[in-house]
Amino acid sequence: MAGDTKFTVKAGLPGSPRTMDVTVAGGELKPWDLDRLPEFREVGKRHPRLEGPQKVTGRAKYTQDVQLPGMLHGRMIGATIPAGEIVSIDISKAEALPGVRAVWKADSKLIRFAGQDIAAVVAVSPDVARDAARLVRVVTKSRPFTVELKDAMKAGAPLVFSEAESPAGRDVQKNGNVVGPKKGRREGGRGDVDKGFAEAETTVERTYYLPVHTHCALETHGVVASWEDDQLTVYASTQGVFAVREGLAEALGIDRKNVRVITEHMGGGFGAKLGPSASGSSFAVVACRLAKKAGAPVKMMLDRAQEHLCTGNAPSALMTVKIGSKKDGTIVALRFTSYGSAGIATGAGTSGPAGALYKNNPNFTADEYDVFTNAGPAAPLRAPGHPQGAFALESAIDELAEALAMDPLELRRKNESSPVRAAQYDVGAKAIGWERRNTKKGPAIVSAGKVRGIGMACGNWYVFAQDSGISAQVKIHRDGSVEVFSGAQDIGTGFRTAMAVIAAEELGIDPKTIAVRVGDTRFPEGPGSGGSVTTNSVAPIVRAAANKALAQLFERVAPVLSALPAELVARDGNIFVASAPSRSMTFKAAAGRMQGEVIDALADRKRQFATFRDDIAGVQFAEVEVDTGTGEVRILKMVSVNDCGFPVNPLTAENQVIGAMIQGASWALLENRIIDKNVGLMVNPNLESYKIFSPSDMFEAQSILTPVANLGNNTSTAGLGEPPLVPTLAVIANAVANAIGTRVRELPITPDRVLAALASARKKG
Amino acid sequence: MSVPPPPSDDDALDPKLTRRNFLKTAGVGAVATSVVGLAVGAPAGKAAVLGPGAVPLSLDVNGAVKKISVEPRVTLLDALRDNLGLTGAKPACDRGACGACTVLVDGEPIASCMMLAADVEGRKITTVEGLGTPEAMTPLQAAFVECDALQCGFCTPGFVVAGTALLKRNPDPSLAEIKEGLAGNLCRCGTYGRIFEAVSKAAKAQRSPAKKG
Repeated sequence: MAGDTKFTVKAGLPGSPRTMDVTVAGGELKPWDLDRLPEFREVGKRHPRLEGPQKVTGRAKYTQDVQLPGMLHGRMIGATIPAGEIVSIDISKAEALPGVRAVWKADSKLIRFAGQDIAAVVAVSPDVARDAARLVRVVTKSRPFTVELKDAMKAGAPLVFSEAESPAGRDVQKNGNVVGPKKGRREGGRGDVDKGFAEAETTVERTYYLPVHTHCALETHGVVASWEDDQLTVYASTQGVFAVREGLAEALGIDRKNVRVITEHMGGGFGAKLGPSASGSSFAVVACRLAKKAGAPVKMMLDRAQEHLCTGNAPSALMTVKIGSKKDGTIVALRFTSYGSAGIATGAGTSGPAGALYKNNPNFTADEYDVFTNAGPAAPLRAPGHPQGAFALESAIDELAEALAMDPLELRRKNESSPVRAAQYDVGAKAIGWERRNTKKGPAIVSAGKVRGIGMACGNWYVFAQDSGISAQVKIHRDGSVEVFSGAQDIGTGFRTAMAVIAAEELGIDPKTIAVRVGDTRFPEGPGSGGSVTTNSVAPIVRAAANKALAQLFERVAPVLSALPAELVARDGNIFVASAPSRSMTFKAAAGRMQGEVIDALADRKRQFATFRDDIAGVQFAEVEVDTGTGEVRILKMVSVNDCGFPVNPLTAENQVIGAMIQGASWALLENRIIDKNVGLMVNPNLESYKIFSPSDMFEAQSILTPVANLGNNTSTAGLGEPPLVPTLAVIANAVANAIGTRVRELPITPDRVLAALASARKKG
Repeated sequence: MSVPPPPSDDDALDPKLTRRNFLKTAGVGAVATSVVGLAVGAPAGKAAVLGPGAVPLSLDVNGAVKKISVEPRVTLLDALRDNLGLTGAKPACDRGACGACTVLVDGEPIASCMMLAADVEGRKITTVEGLGTPEAMTPLQAAFVECDALQCGFCTPGFVVAGTALLKRNPDPSLAEIKEGLAGNLCRCGTYGRIFEAVSKAAKAQRSPAKKG
């Protein structure tokens, strides 16, 4: 494009650099590349997060903690049947209860899942709101329902939607509750799969299943809504303050300029908190309406049960993988078929990893089917569809290796198309001790009643970024203090600290001296935190804004140092002449020379570069121990090797990787949303029988980050929040199979399933 | 087996018959029998009933006695958060399953969502706010920050309080003892390993404070 600039850079892995030209938008900075990597003062160093002291002392204020003068407490009331019609909603008793200030009831007459919004109350205390909720009288007429994926697929199953009501697109084929096929992320696949299978010498076809997983952020969804005339301020537990602003403005029919959304700290989202309210509730819109009606601020937080029912979940999946290979392991055909239920929504596709991994295979096709059930709609969960899809694909790869009598790592190497992943295999195999793996047929006995196994799996993600319409601001004050502003929110990733590190690197100062202001729609526009985009969308503009601010500071102090601005360097808290470092002054003294009170620089995001690679690579390894008497699986160690471009702050980045492994381990071994098919209600909407990993389940976890100059943007940063969850389910399934000598193809891998698999293997044995 | 008659509509809709209120009413009964003086103006034979309106309570929180007026059914967690502005302890599961609301009552870690405010009169309550400040953190709080033993941080106050109690009763815990001591707390971001590291580090720092730094 006109005005573009070309830079020659060193890209790729430090061990195998590639010199290449990148063409970037005019005005872009020279990207950080492999030559810059050893020079970093702050990037890549371990920085405790800036807000840590507030969080560990209980001072950090979350939405749940917001208290405004005169604030009322709201409560959303959900449907208690899975399907039916609302005959009447009588709110008169609730309205008459002393302390109740406003009541809302739904317009909708149809119930499609238990937990769907029916009515809401606002009262002077949470307890009075709870009392009032009990007084709302709802008369319903039940309809037949279906809550399990496999049941809903059967001919004659009760229909969740009639064809006319279906939320699936018009062009999609519909067959009862089953919608599809869609061709998945890689439209149409590659080559000719039937021809590929005809040429294959070994073929494996297996089916895998996993149930719905719920996000379980510890802070439930919620808002505090407060009106001042026509100005609405909303504190929201959200991953996207701007999406909340836009969604609420649209729903309430007011201008975006009149809505301010604030998220200073938020207690976890994992993908479920991207919209204005939640995937299965309009609680935030209702809270705003009721605040207006009551003439007072309203806090409406969902409770733990609602969090499971109406705020989203990761779809279940029933996946069949057929792989054909040559005798030497070269994959020549892959067919991936998945059925999944996102409840009353679509979006249960899981073919992403099958399309993106092993791309040397010329013949690939995927068919994805959505199956409607009477359950709350799914929401994106950390690499949507990918942990599920990788579970099936990477389990099947291990099963192909077994059929070929090949080492599963060798099979993967043979078919690897990514140079990054190829390098990661060695690193991970060494860290886990791959050579100790069970290579016999049958269980790997280590002591009486105990077997151990080692497994691995690959994962993929994509370099997504919001590369237009966002900006960042850097201020240098006259006293030398620095502020960075981005409206994007820190959902616990350490985004705030990462931006301080980027600005500090550019300004040559200590990141601890920088205040980073985030999570407010009054600050420069930022991305929603979905798709692993936050750091790598905002880092390049924080760098650019800091660079602009510094240029202004250089202009002011250059005459004092008898130099041209271009001859100056900022490093270690000083500004000096590059060719004569003794001609120097401190950053603080330089700021004191300002004419005005502040230097204020804004930078807009420029388009993403034509990247070195468009995917993010990762591999994981695990060692497990299984008690063959009880069937209990214990993870001993997991290693995750990940690429996130240049890691800005490994201390927080590694924490995220390990956290993803723990969430995946929990998914693989424990988590199971159970809906009673007789009554259509979830039986474990809590945290004591919907089990998630606890301290007692914890294993030795290691995160190894492989820096890659991926040249997607001027900081070579890429996403990390989602990719390390992608391989985890498969890794654990593969390690368990290696330990017990047979395979559990349904998650979670609970003791009963392990014992059943062992018993069935003995019978066959 | 006799089947009880179904409740009338009014019974079913009576807010006093909810699970939560049943537990709370039962709890209040226990309070009133042990702290008889609290039963303000209750007639003889019905002394076990407090409320339903607000009653005055004195709570000893973080070394200061605070007077509040709350309904007898209000939990310690809600009283701390809504009446005393101490929002460090977090509501997350509302039934003692996750530990995010952990506070110390006479030095013991308890789930404050499972205890009534009226039940802790006369006992010493310590919340996370009473341990250290951002400017003067306890060794455990400082270790949490240094080890990055947190992500979103919503569970962190509960872990800090539980970890503080653990180190008080066992100044030199093994890894297994740390896991056990924190087993009642959940972290969805998955920071357990870092938390264990922080507890270990703080234990060392507390045992040999002179060597610190």
